[in-house]
Amino acid sequence: MKEKQHNLRLFVPIYVIVILIYITAGIIEPQFITWRNNVNLFTRITPLILVGMAQTFVVLTGGIDLSIGAIIGLTNVIAASLPFINTPLNIILWLLIPPLVGFGVGVINGFFISKKGLPPLIVTLATGAIWLGVTLFIMPIPGGTVSLSVALTITGKLFNTIPIPLLIILFFVLTGYFILRNTELGRSLYALGGNEAIAYESGIPCSRIKILVYGISGILSSFAGMFLSGWMFSADPLIGNPYVLNSIAVTVIAGTSLSGGKGGVVGIIGGAYIFYILNNILNLLGISAFYQYIAKGLVLILALIISSPNASIILKNYFKKQSFFDKEEFVK
Amino acid sequence: MNRVFDKLKAIDFLSQNKLIFLLFLLIFILFIIGEILARGFLKLDHIYTILRTTSFLGIVSIGQTLVILTGGIDLSVGPLITMGNVFTCMLINGIDANTFWAILVVIFLGMIFGCFSGLFVSYLRISPLVITLVTGSIVTGITLIFSHGAPKGLASPVLRFIGVGRLFDIFPVIIVVWIILSCLTILLLNFSVFGRKIYYIGANEKTALMSGIRVHLLKTIVYSISGGAAALTGSLMAGYTRTAFLGIGDEYTMWSIATVVIGGTSITGGKGGYLGTIAGAILFILLESILTIVKIPEAGRRIANGAIILILINIYFKQ
Repeated sequence: MKEKQHNLRLFVPIYVIVILIYITAGIIEPQFITWRNNVNLFTRITPLILVGMAQTFVVLTGGIDLSIGAIIGLTNVIAASLPFINTPLNIILWLLIPPLVGFGVGVINGFFISKKGLPPLIVTLATGAIWLGVTLFIMPIPGGTVSLSVALTITGKLFNTIPIPLLIILFFVLTGYFILRNTELGRSLYALGGNEAIAYESGIPCSRIKILVYGISGILSSFAGMFLSGWMFSADPLIGNPYVLNSIAVTVIAGTSLSGGKGGVVGIIGGAYIFYILNNILNLLGISAFYQYIAKGLVLILALIISSPNASIILKNYFKKQSFFDKEEFVK
Repeated sequence: MNRVFDKLKAIDFLSQNKLIFLLFLLIFILFIIGEILARGFLKLDHIYTILRTTSFLGIVSIGQTLVILTGGIDLSVGPLITMGNVFTCMLINGIDANTFWAILVVIFLGMIFGCFSGLFVSYLRISPLVITLVTGSIVTGITLIFSHGAPKGLASPVLRFIGVGRLFDIFPVIIVVWIILSCLTILLLNFSVFGRKIYYIGANEKTALMSGIRVHLLKTIVYSISGGAAALTGSLMAGYTRTAFLGIGDEYTMWSIATVVIGGTSITGGKGGYLGTIAGAILFILLESILTIVKIPEAGRRIANGAIILILINIYFKQ
């Protein structure tokens, strides 16, 4: 019961903010709530949601993955360099090779982090640089192309009504939710992030799970890369760069604690929405793109303060002016 | 208690020094390799050029080192460098008399933004990774709004002298500035109470709080210093490039983190120092320079950067 409430606390605030922004936007600019605009938004947030899930899985174990951007770039480039003539074999290759590459790259990260015990931040920073280099070797400038029918399917609509990106989002988020909640792997992730030593003592195969988690992160990032290549009909080696930090921001806004062991994937749709909703309304209102950075920053801060469990405790304690030993509870 | 702490620190300092010695040895070897690959690599002029490029990275990394020593990280240095660069040119507008206060204003602005991140990190306990990212976004927005997307203005002759000039026609001024700032940082970290407290916070924040160190205040100060250092770097870069450039700081966020890590400072905090960062910065730029001379494309340079970080941390963690 207690745990359930805690979970609610993590992701409810974010949806409240999203709904508030959504309603305000709808009142200011009626164009915003049209179905066409919303379909457009689904397409835009899909890669961010995939990447946010990749980051969430890693962050739950107490790690972090800065190579996500490079993996997106690499798989994006690979997806656009594969043969693009419509034969079943080609489509199967297109669907298989990028995720395999992503998985392999992720497992290499996981190997360095779990077997050698190196800090994830630096390992993924370094491997990110390496994979970006490899990507630039394969394709120094934007180019390549993707099978037209694949591209149209990805961004199209099922039976001409339901947008495929929405289905992709729901499929991945629900699967992620199920994995985290109902499987042994999911529970091991939380245990690992909560306290690695205790998790190890209780017989959880820590190093194997860590490697697997970075592999999953690689696969999800590669899906984002494939989606982007399908959406743009081509590839750009540097396309993943902004996603590194955005994925971390989305993860944190969605209520996942960066120290690990707390959080989930439910808030991610809201987190990703906040990122693009603002850009979208400011664009519709014709406000200069320069102000969008500040607006985004301010909304992120608001979301961070609300979703940070520490903030409310600290503010409460601050007004009560308790002695400093009482503050112990929020020093980790 | 104090004596035990001193003893521990002495041991730490020794092992740290061994590492720094190794790094400088590596730098020496790389210089010789450079000379073998291209005649004239070891000429004084070329060494000055490398050190001049390094000094910018070195000055940003002062702040980054302090922040990482407390166990945090600062991702807002890149945008802050760009802001410093753009605002300096705008405020100076080519006039000598404006130089001094323009740089002061820019440093002050940088410190305000650093302080902003610091307050969130320390008092609200929001992860530094995220809040500095948000600060960076806000700073980028402010830079773009004030420069209207097309920065104007020029560096003044005095700033030009600091950026590219030479003291007594021999020694580049910017390197002197870097050396002075480095000495101050090393004094601060190794020989002051403030420095010790920083190490203490990084080693164990809870114990530091329990023993009466004002952790929150100190952390805020450290982030402010980082913001100020980044903004100052932007100002000095204006002297180097003469005009402002909106993308000038982009790479420096990751470069400064890489530099600090190569220099042997532990990313979890509490271990390391600025001397290592100096070696790290030189190593980083030197490697870049050699790879450029051998005409290795951008892709190869990225791979080499990643590989050297990976190799070095493998070595550090074996010790």
